[in-house]
Amino acid sequence: MSVIPREEWDKYPDIEITLNVNGKDYKVKVKPYERLLDVLRYKLGFTGVKEGCGRGECGACVVLMDGKLVPSCLVLAVRANGSKVLTVEGLAPEGKLHAIQKALLDTYAVQCGFCFPGVILAIKALLDRNPNPTDEEIKDALSGQLCRCGSYLRFIKAVKLAAQYIREGKEYFDESGARG
Amino acid sequence: MSELPEYVRIVEEIFDKYKDKEFLYVGKRIQRWDAVEKIKGRVLFTADFAKYYRNAVFVYSVRTKYAHAKIKSIDISEAQRYPGVLRVITAKDIPGVNDVGYVIPDQPLLVSDKARYIGDIVALIVAEDPNVAKEAGELIKVDYEKLPVITDPLQVIDLRTLKEKEHPLIHEERGSDVVAHFKIRKGDVRKAFDEADVVVEGEYSTPFQEHAYMEPEAAIALPEADGGVTIIATTQCPFDVRKAVAKVLGVTQNKVRVIVPAVGGGFGGKEDVANELGAKAALAALMTGRPAVVIHSREESMIGHSKRHPMKAWYRHAAKRDGTLLGVEANIVFDTGAYASLGPFVAWRATVHATGPYRVEAARVDTLSVYTNNVYAGAFRGFGCPQVTFAIESQMDALAEELGMDPVDLRLKNILREGDRTVHGQLLTRDHGVGLEEAILKAVETSRWYEKRKLFSKQVGTLRKGIGIALLWHGNSIGVEGADYSSATLIINRDGSITFRVGLIDMGQGSQWGMVLIASEILGVPPSYFRVEQPDTAATPDSGPTVASRSTVMGGAAVVNAAYKLRQRLNKVASTLLGCDPDDVEIKAPDVYCRSNPEKKVSWSDVVEQSFWLGIPLQEFGYFRAPPAEWDEETGQGAPYITYTFGAIIAEVTVDLETGGVKVDRMVTAYDIGKVINRVGAELHAEGGAIQGLGYALMEEVVHNKDAYVMNANLSTYYIPTIHDVPDEIIPIFVEAKYRRGPFGAKGLGEPSINGIAPAIVNAVSHATGLRFHSIPLTPEKIYMALKKAGKTLF
Repeated sequence: MSVIPREEWDKYPDIEITLNVNGKDYKVKVKPYERLLDVLRYKLGFTGVKEGCGRGECGACVVLMDGKLVPSCLVLAVRANGSKVLTVEGLAPEGKLHAIQKALLDTYAVQCGFCFPGVILAIKALLDRNPNPTDEEIKDALSGQLCRCGSYLRFIKAVKLAAQYIREGKEYFDESGARG
Repeated sequence: MSELPEYVRIVEEIFDKYKDKEFLYVGKRIQRWDAVEKIKGRVLFTADFAKYYRNAVFVYSVRTKYAHAKIKSIDISEAQRYPGVLRVITAKDIPGVNDVGYVIPDQPLLVSDKARYIGDIVALIVAEDPNVAKEAGELIKVDYEKLPVITDPLQVIDLRTLKEKEHPLIHEERGSDVVAHFKIRKGDVRKAFDEADVVVEGEYSTPFQEHAYMEPEAAIALPEADGGVTIIATTQCPFDVRKAVAKVLGVTQNKVRVIVPAVGGGFGGKEDVANELGAKAALAALMTGRPAVVIHSREESMIGHSKRHPMKAWYRHAAKRDGTLLGVEANIVFDTGAYASLGPFVAWRATVHATGPYRVEAARVDTLSVYTNNVYAGAFRGFGCPQVTFAIESQMDALAEELGMDPVDLRLKNILREGDRTVHGQLLTRDHGVGLEEAILKAVETSRWYEKRKLFSKQVGTLRKGIGIALLWHGNSIGVEGADYSSATLIINRDGSITFRVGLIDMGQGSQWGMVLIASEILGVPPSYFRVEQPDTAATPDSGPTVASRSTVMGGAAVVNAAYKLRQRLNKVASTLLGCDPDDVEIKAPDVYCRSNPEKKVSWSDVVEQSFWLGIPLQEFGYFRAPPAEWDEETGQGAPYITYTFGAIIAEVTVDLETGGVKVDRMVTAYDIGKVINRVGAELHAEGGAIQGLGYALMEEVVHNKDAYVMNANLSTYYIPTIHDVPDEIIPIFVEAKYRRGPFGAKGLGEPSINGIAPAIVNAVSHATGLRFHSIPLTPEKIYMALKKAGKTLF
């Protein structure tokens, strides 16, 4: 493999982009080859977005970009210019838990937690378009979210419970009430 | 009987005292301390800390081009001149000892004269931009002399004669590529086979399995003023990382501090690779005077850290017509890849468990661990047991078939019960807790075994159901592998809150929470009063490595000691406030009262404050050490482990005869783990182990080509179970045959939860198809080809 000289890369100047992350606007300078994942994590500090493979295979880095579930490792930051991004940090207001988060706690699904930010956003994307999914629909929606600790069966239960909470109008819960 | 150490007597006293008591926290479902933070995305994993260091440098590892080659020279000059590169590090720059081997010093951090596998590192590039570091890696010029590559352990060892073959040595400095050889010699094996009514024989093979924890390895090192270094690392063994890094740097261990934040899965894989990452980051930090970040890509992770050892085994079982086992013979070869890692210990554990949880009067077992040029193999949940359990439990089903017996009945005839001796001659007493029979009976009842076994045998058509069983056992903690100790610190602060410190890490399994529940129960203080401080070699005590399902049993026993001593002092202080006998004091924070007169009470904070004024210390250090294990190297006789976890797994599958595809429909996992401490954690282990074991049974295999390149080093070609692959139901059952020297009678579950899964699934596939299988992963191709060969396919 031949090396592209650094000088070649440096011909391309940084580009300023605008991102709305979790409801707040940010202006940030990025390299043309920079990934949305790195900008979110290291330039803006949203480390709730995790990197598990860098190839769009594990689902740990997914975010909602203009309402669509995308692996942020496969999105160039410049491509996200002007878009609205939701990460796990923005799912519920300070001190609150979203129904999805509450349901995952209620089903005791948490183990290492590394896949959770992605799992939570994938569930959000599912429930936004389908408020009452079947087991098969849940499995399809989460088929790109790898969990090696093996909480999958609890995810299925949690999605149903979250859907029920939302149908009952209970979208947010107090964070303090959920502690052990 | 000799005098027991105080720390053992305390654990026994607590066991006896609580034996019949109602528990408040232990065994209950209680939300773990970090669940909310994890679910909110606030918990920081190692790589996340990089966002705080604005002047950090990044380290890229340049790996060998060939799996087996002499290195004649390494030219770094061009890479060194590449714009943005701060430093190139090679073996000659290492100030201390260039070795990160775990059990044997056979593994250089940076290779200089020879590469032995495709993950060996020839140079480190340090740059401000990770992309620059990677680009410059292309400019490292190495002059290699290629050597013949060995990818099959049977090129090194003959499976039948166990003799080392002529082959190009991988570790010529050792004079042999056999790393370890363990044996069991028991009874008259020849006589057993001569007198047997039935003999079954089989060769079995199991694959390299990748941990595929979702968080790839990472380490960040910060240089300290005195030439020391602080390392944030994702590891299971902070004190081992400290030791390894100190050795590489050539400094004393007190100059290296290792902090372990949240860990995104480990499963054994984050034992020794963290030594390498810590050392790489530390070298770069000290040479540049800046924070140094090492984050492995998924591909690097998959080629650069240990795997589950592949096994080739030949087994022979002898039995009487009535099913009584007479003898077992086994030749077992483990491929430990290019470096020993934990290979010798894995082979030892496999040997101990090589005849299964059965009464065996005559046995000959030889287990060899050998080098190849494959990725090195080390610790992985189960640690040698999943491999041999696959072979043993396949043999047991083959034997049942040969005898015309039901597989459950054959097993019930031979299992270990209280009062029996293991194949090593270890007497299993009531104090060990032997609940295997109960586990089998419960699994059989819950799964409706006999009814389904009969029903499924009469199927016709394309989709065939099958039901299979496998038993397992698992020696708790580390046995003769090393000094088996643990320690914990409990600090009751002046405001009544409690600081909890243990050197055992939480990689997701929740074991620290189990230990908090133990402390809660003894102190009488709810878990919400506790704050778990993450392991930090500067603050938490050395509790040994987080391995071998030892956290709850060993760490928990240390916590029992600390909590017991604090409780005694608290009772005394409370008795002065309440005017009743210390033994009469009941603590149910926030209330403290006399049991004989509950009306008379003071508050928890009063008792804590009074202790402060009386000068009664409310910090305590708990220590525990397991009784020494016994093992005779020549005969394998002794008492290898403190106690054993037992289990029975029943799997139901549907096999598609047209495609060879298997769907696991349902699994019943019945484990005897003594007293259940952390119920949520135990259930999650049973489910998670089952799913990981399903992957091992049906789909997972790291494939090396003939040049020992890994052909599937990412998650789209190395398959792990997705949500589509899981059974509809996993039913965890817990049998509580209590171990008297475990906290409240607890035994371990982390590792055993994978041991019996693959053979249960494979036996179920055999039931469905009427064919026996001898290798995993049991892929659709293997099943289809076997069906075709047997004339059982429909097309």
